[in-house]
Amino acid sequence: MNEDRASAAINGLPMVDARDIHKSFHHNEVLRGITMQVRKGEVVVMIGPSGSGKTTFLRCINHLEKINKGKLYVDGELVGYRETPDGKIAEDTEKNIARIRAEIGMVFQRFNLFPHMTALENVMEAPIQVKRTPKDQAEARARGLLRKVGLEQKADAYPARLSGGQQQRVAIARALAMDPKLMLFDEATSALDPELVGEVLKVMRQLAEEGMTMVVVTHEMGFAREVADRVIFMDGGVIVEEGQPEQVFSAPQQERTQTFLRMIL
Amino acid sequence: MNAIIQFFLTLLHAIVQFFVTIVTLNGQFDWSRVVENLFARIIIEGVIITIILAVLSQFIGSVIGLLLYFARRSDLAILRRFVGLYVWFFRGTPLLVQILFLNELAPALHLAQPLIQLHIFLKLGFSQDIPVDAFIATCIALSLNEGAYMAEIVRAGIDAIDTGQMEAAKSLGMTYWLGMRRIVLPQALRVIVPPLGNEFNSMLKSTSLAYVIGVGDLLGSSKALASSFFAFLELYTVAAIWYLALTTGWGLIQAQIERRVNASNIDPALLDKRPWWQRMTGLRGPTGGGPTGGVPIEAPVLEGERR
Repeated sequence: MNEDRASAAINGLPMVDARDIHKSFHHNEVLRGITMQVRKGEVVVMIGPSGSGKTTFLRCINHLEKINKGKLYVDGELVGYRETPDGKIAEDTEKNIARIRAEIGMVFQRFNLFPHMTALENVMEAPIQVKRTPKDQAEARARGLLRKVGLEQKADAYPARLSGGQQQRVAIARALAMDPKLMLFDEATSALDPELVGEVLKVMRQLAEEGMTMVVVTHEMGFAREVADRVIFMDGGVIVEEGQPEQVFSAPQQERTQTFLRMIL
Repeated sequence: MNAIIQFFLTLLHAIVQFFVTIVTLNGQFDWSRVVENLFARIIIEGVIITIILAVLSQFIGSVIGLLLYFARRSDLAILRRFVGLYVWFFRGTPLLVQILFLNELAPALHLAQPLIQLHIFLKLGFSQDIPVDAFIATCIALSLNEGAYMAEIVRAGIDAIDTGQMEAAKSLGMTYWLGMRRIVLPQALRVIVPPLGNEFNSMLKSTSLAYVIGVGDLLGSSKALASSFFAFLELYTVAAIWYLALTTGWGLIQAQIERRVNASNIDPALLDKRPWWQRMTGLRGPTGGGPTGGVPIEAPVLEGERR
């Protein structure tokens, strides 16, 4: 499966191109020079101990966090900043940033569904408000997406009535409603009870098989092993090791990787 | 020891004596005066003015509070500074002083001159011509004052909403303003409504301060009537009855609004939908059911969800 996707990956511009990314929170440097690319159609899984910066890096991709140094491109476009004619870097307009974000879907650890709207309304909201999609069209698409994640029966339920796994699947449908070219998963199953993790991973796996470009931060090593095209191990704000899952999990080359995997597996 | 007991007994006697005097009103309270003036024209007009003043000022004050919230988050340092000074001043000086102050400035409202000539209140059917400039000045004072307090209420309401909500909105391509309008503010409203309701209760009573400048509010009218036939206690009672009616009436409306807006964070599907008389008394209807009509009081923690 990984080979099929690798051959299907389009050559040319990478979907994500991160160059020497640095990020600090006050005086704490959390990202110390991250350089990596994600090809179109590729599924990259990022693993590492907490505090390693993997979630922070993920949030830099759609500019929920501002980077302090370096350049980050998504599908060829510089994210969060623009290059002025005289070669300087200036902060981009909110409108432009929003436009780029609309093409990147994000799934959060705590779901972040809108509690004052039903599942269906949650999924319909962004296409209607951001893309100005007509209501009936948005509704039809939303129902289709809820069906895709197996929740068409729950269309009129409020998030408070849904289990964690159901909420997360609605959240995935909501992100997909904007037709993104890239999906970011921030520990999407970490807040779920074990028996509900599977239903969410199933949806994520399906997305991967359909060719979606995905960057996944997770602790689910089984998922990483089976679905990832590439695994990146981060620790202390740097990429320690990256490679094919078989290689990273079975034959890790760096000692820090070995230590981490020993603790997890 | 004896002396101490003696002292307290004397004190107790004096206090009891005092209250008896008040309750029996030294035999000089004339209830007929109260009854005949309760619905006097001037009093009713006073009630109407009070309501208009309260509603207008609360509304404008709330808008100011919202504007102050955004101003506080502005990139311009001057704006942020201004908010700090504004809140400090209007919370630091008595409302009465603010009303008197603005009333002095009232003639300076040159715009109000043509309005005064219009004799709006006479035209609307009031029995006396209320000076429009004083009315406007009072309204402005009340609004500005209220704005300073609403700023904190709005801030607390908006901050109560999890930051993940705005992040989710942004990640879907919404701008800050769109996210505010569609996602954050609607949720913040649920948090803001109860304290806002309490503020309006307070506002209904604060309008009484306007009597000092004669805008024809309830207290002002009561005092005027009291002077005319020297029945102060009776007319103050009329005023008190009306203020009580207004605040109680608002209390009922407030409860209804809070129910609809779901101000207590219950899952909408679990809201108590029984008729009001059942809700208030807890009596079961003809169909029976538990004290809450079979509806659970707390939203269940659903399986599989970590809190």
